[in-house]
Amino acid sequence: MQEDPVLKVEDLRTHFFTRSGVVKAVDGISFEVGRGETLGIVGESGSGKSMTAWSILGLVPQPAGKIVGGKIMYLGEDLLQKDESEMREIRGKGICMVMQDPLTSLNPVFTIGNQLIESLKMDNKDSKPTLIQKATQLLANVRIPAPESRLSVFPHQMSGGMRQRVVGAIAMARSPNVLIADEPTTSLDATIQLQYLQLLKEIQAETGAAILFITHDFGVVARMCDRVAVMYAGKIVEQASVLELFDNPQHPYTEALLKSVPDLNEDVDFLPSIEGQPPTLDDLPEGCSFAPRCPYAFDKCNVYPGESSVGEDHVASCWRLDGAN
Amino acid sequence: MVQTNGHADPEALIRLDGLKKHYPVLKGIVFQKTVGVVKAVDGVSFSIPEGQTYSLVGESGCGKTTTSRQILMVEPPTEGEIYYQGTAMNKFTSEQRKDFHSSVQAVFQDPWSSLNPRMRVDAIVSEPLITHQNLTKEEVKKQVGELLEVVGLHAFHADRYPHEFSGGQRQRIAIARALSTRPKLMVLDEPVSALDVSIRAQILNLLKELQQTYNLSYLLIAHNLATVRYMSHRVGVMYLGKIIEEANPQDLFGNPLHPYTKALISASLPAHPNLQREEIVLTGEVPSPLNPPDGCTFHPRCPVAFEPCNTDIPVMQEVTPGHIVNCHLFTGAEATSSAAAAS
Repeated sequence: MQEDPVLKVEDLRTHFFTRSGVVKAVDGISFEVGRGETLGIVGESGSGKSMTAWSILGLVPQPAGKIVGGKIMYLGEDLLQKDESEMREIRGKGICMVMQDPLTSLNPVFTIGNQLIESLKMDNKDSKPTLIQKATQLLANVRIPAPESRLSVFPHQMSGGMRQRVVGAIAMARSPNVLIADEPTTSLDATIQLQYLQLLKEIQAETGAAILFITHDFGVVARMCDRVAVMYAGKIVEQASVLELFDNPQHPYTEALLKSVPDLNEDVDFLPSIEGQPPTLDDLPEGCSFAPRCPYAFDKCNVYPGESSVGEDHVASCWRLDGAN
Repeated sequence: MVQTNGHADPEALIRLDGLKKHYPVLKGIVFQKTVGVVKAVDGVSFSIPEGQTYSLVGESGCGKTTTSRQILMVEPPTEGEIYYQGTAMNKFTSEQRKDFHSSVQAVFQDPWSSLNPRMRVDAIVSEPLITHQNLTKEEVKKQVGELLEVVGLHAFHADRYPHEFSGGQRQRIAIARALSTRPKLMVLDEPVSALDVSIRAQILNLLKELQQTYNLSYLLIAHNLATVRYMSHRVGVMYLGKIIEEANPQDLFGNPLHPYTKALISASLPAHPNLQREEIVLTGEVPSPLNPPDGCTFHPRCPVAFEPCNTDIPVMQEVTPGHIVNCHLFTGAEATSSAAAAS
């Protein structure tokens, strides 16, 4: 991967200023995604993974939320320097998002065709029949059977898997360079989830889009991603290629999380579990935020550790790795 | 046609025999007429012995939750019978009914909506106790404290409200409430799927511990197959209101027989990137139970469907001891053992 990454996030900080204090939802994270690459962002609820996506799209909830530092480089330009109309252009064309719940991301009072054509109209002045033809093609691209007849259908008349594919079709309508998928399959059944993941892979192979895949499921990561970033309490604690992360997890959180997932092919009597609760962001402990739940925690952990490189394309933030290099 | 289950153990704590739940679809406001029937549960038989876990797996809309609602006596079945400790549920005396309600409890998926936000934890946990038992205030308070300790919380948590707890802790409160009446059977409807990944193992381990300590039986409803394997003694796979395969988890996941079970297992995501399973991608989606296909209800999506599948309804076969399947592929293969099982 010698060419420049499509999207490069450097030391991004998104904070919320609330009455009870500053909530550091995203606190100094850096990563990059190249063309045709899939980066998984794994974390629990409240770890800041969705807020990372909103920050990239410039949609941080106002007025409480604010990006207080860092850079988001998209094709060499810093998105944080763009004004609202430029961002609007990029959101449609360059970076698109597929959200968790397809029912709430489609407008219930417009037909599928209407909503598809709306996004197609943004940058071409084709005649209506051409647009209809293009919309049909888009539905066919996401493997919806009988696409012509689906254009006049309302969202509630489709099943969850179908709706999610329509959302995918809208997102791909203007062939974006970056697709952000925020837990797109959590509301789908297992067999439908597999269909959808395969479809995303196929579309990616055709268009070469970079995918930022936000999930809490290591199974999805194993199936979909090339590289993974593990988030905990607003920070990336470990980042590596998929194989490296699964074979050789370095951060105690990653290690414990991987162990606590039951395996379908094995019988175990007892699962190792992570004690304690995930931290709330307005009341973070000093230093490493995982320390209160960490079996290896020692006195150094009350200062946040720096990033240590542990092998090729593998970094983790833990004091235990500090002596290694 | 009532299907018989070769392993319907008469000694089981609870036994379902040919359970059906059909919902009529009505049309019209004043002069209503039935225009169709949704066969949510269509002939389900299984039994749960004491101290064991029976799991139902399947996609949404296959009838898992409807089955559990019959067991919880929320709705009466349309047809078929549920036996609790050998007595048919619809023949319960009022005394037995009362006893039944206190010995069967449920834990639901979403602890944000299953706990009343305006009740304190002590009120939530003690509500079943007060309903079912005559206890003094001191006894109730003592029991609530003990229950909270049992599920890994502290007695001082009793004075707090649900919003002060995280998801995992709330699910512990829901479990404490379910335990309060000393139940024999607990219905666990997706108990961990709404929780954070790092919390799931904690709750699953807690449930396992409680099962061993109190000799509880569980009916587990889940869609995560790895969780099911970890928790269960026996697993039933449901599709459109019917159990299509049943076995112990080792046999079911190690040697799945029904094409739907195979597809379901292949659709579950790998635990390691190198572990790529053969992926059987089913075409289409689950058909509507309002208008199920003829013959085997799975045949329109089945990759190996052949002639009798679109006309004849398959019958349960016992292929190896304890492993039963409802598929034409196995019809006649083990005719002798299935005949033995039916008698």
